[in-house]
Amino acid sequence: MTLPHHPVFLPRTWLAVAVALGLIPFAEKAFAFVNEAISYAFEAATPYVEQGFEVREDTWSGEVEPGKPLLVRHQLFRGNEYWFWAGTSWPGASVKVDIFDSEGNSVGLESFVKGNFAGVRALPEKTATYFIRVITEYDPEKAKKDAVNDPVEGVGEYEGMVDWGLVYGYR
Amino acid sequence: MIHRDFHALFFRSVDRIALVAAAFSLIGFVNAQDEPAAPERIDLSNFPGEFVDQVVVPIPAEIFAVLDKLDEPEWSKGVEIPENPGDKGERAILALTFGSLVGEGFIAVQAENAEDIEEIGKKVLALSQALGLADAVQPHSLAIIEASGKRDWESVRDELDSTQQTVRDTMDKLRDQELSELVSLGGWLRGTNVVTAFIRESFREDKAELLNQPGLLIHFREMLGKMKDPSKETSQIRAISTGLARMEAIITGDEVISEEDIRELNEISRAMLEEYYFISEESRKDSGN
Repeated sequence: MTLPHHPVFLPRTWLAVAVALGLIPFAEKAFAFVNEAISYAFEAATPYVEQGFEVREDTWSGEVEPGKPLLVRHQLFRGNEYWFWAGTSWPGASVKVDIFDSEGNSVGLESFVKGNFAGVRALPEKTATYFIRVITEYDPEKAKKDAVNDPVEGVGEYEGMVDWGLVYGYR
Repeated sequence: MIHRDFHALFFRSVDRIALVAAAFSLIGFVNAQDEPAAPERIDLSNFPGEFVDQVVVPIPAEIFAVLDKLDEPEWSKGVEIPENPGDKGERAILALTFGSLVGEGFIAVQAENAEDIEEIGKKVLALSQALGLADAVQPHSLAIIEASGKRDWESVRDELDSTQQTVRDTMDKLRDQELSELVSLGGWLRGTNVVTAFIRESFREDKAELLNQPGLLIHFREMLGKMKDPSKETSQIRAISTGLARMEAIITGDEVISEEDIRELNEISRAMLEEYYFISEESRKDSGN
């Protein structure tokens, strides 16, 4: 089992190179093209691949106002075990993921949060539609620290939205 | 704003190296940093956020994995490769056929039949040429054939998922979102047809429960309803819409799916596939084959 493809070069690396070459207009397009939040989500999935989880290629992603919860509907099958992994790449942002059944009851068996990604595990008791909740947070102080560690001018200016990505695996 | 990711455009080989290194470092902190528990309950009818409208359709392999745990299906009996898939013109029909052919590939993987997988890989490539997506699909098609030759079934499964995703991503980029959705529908339909065939052979309620997918049926029906492509008015797409509505009447989400329901679902899905993928018995007789 392998993980689905994800970027080898992070967008900020692309941008640094582009800044040096004076190609910022093109670099901005590159930034929009690469989905780094998904890369973080796949990074979170990494250890579970070794445990036999098949990680799907299809994913969810977008941008959201920090603190505003997102709810993703998804079909799960009783008999499979699932992990959902969420990621965000925005400096100073963090993400959390939970799972609920169609009645709104929490069905997550375990979860974790670490830096730019998080995960939740579920063993569905019935085959049905479930709801995966993704919540991002933004910490300006952490953003400053991140900016010191990864300084590229003009990148990461916070405008009220952060990126998010969600992937899942089953076994 | 919700948008699709483009991770599938990057290199896989380098990932593997990174994966091994990352795996060891991650396992340690995952165990060490459990989060505070989620709320025991949320009010879905008054959710204070945003519902994401993007739908990820499960691949047939997800359902097959459960069926394998519940029974020992004779997967080789489920493989049924059509002779000339996609010779019926319209791009919408080609997209549906492409999805169903990838679904066929997932069945052949369960059957661990390298010869069938190779044939499907070649037909997938031919179909991608008809769709104008051969450049994107060729590497996957070759990888499928190579992995099946090595009997590396996990890699074949991964490549089939990648193939479908690459085609959908490429269609999305070309603003062919409708075609992209039809690829998913085609795969789902082929998977549903073979699963109902196996459950029909030896019915059990726990196996029938796998068909409890009312949300996906609503999604597909709404997707066809919103289609702007002129192919929406073709007899095939109209027949598929009708078939989905009939399935929706059976799969309500509230009632147990019975043996009779499974028989009906199997026949409806077969009839839908005969609109664009399989040749019906009737047509076969008419053509004298």
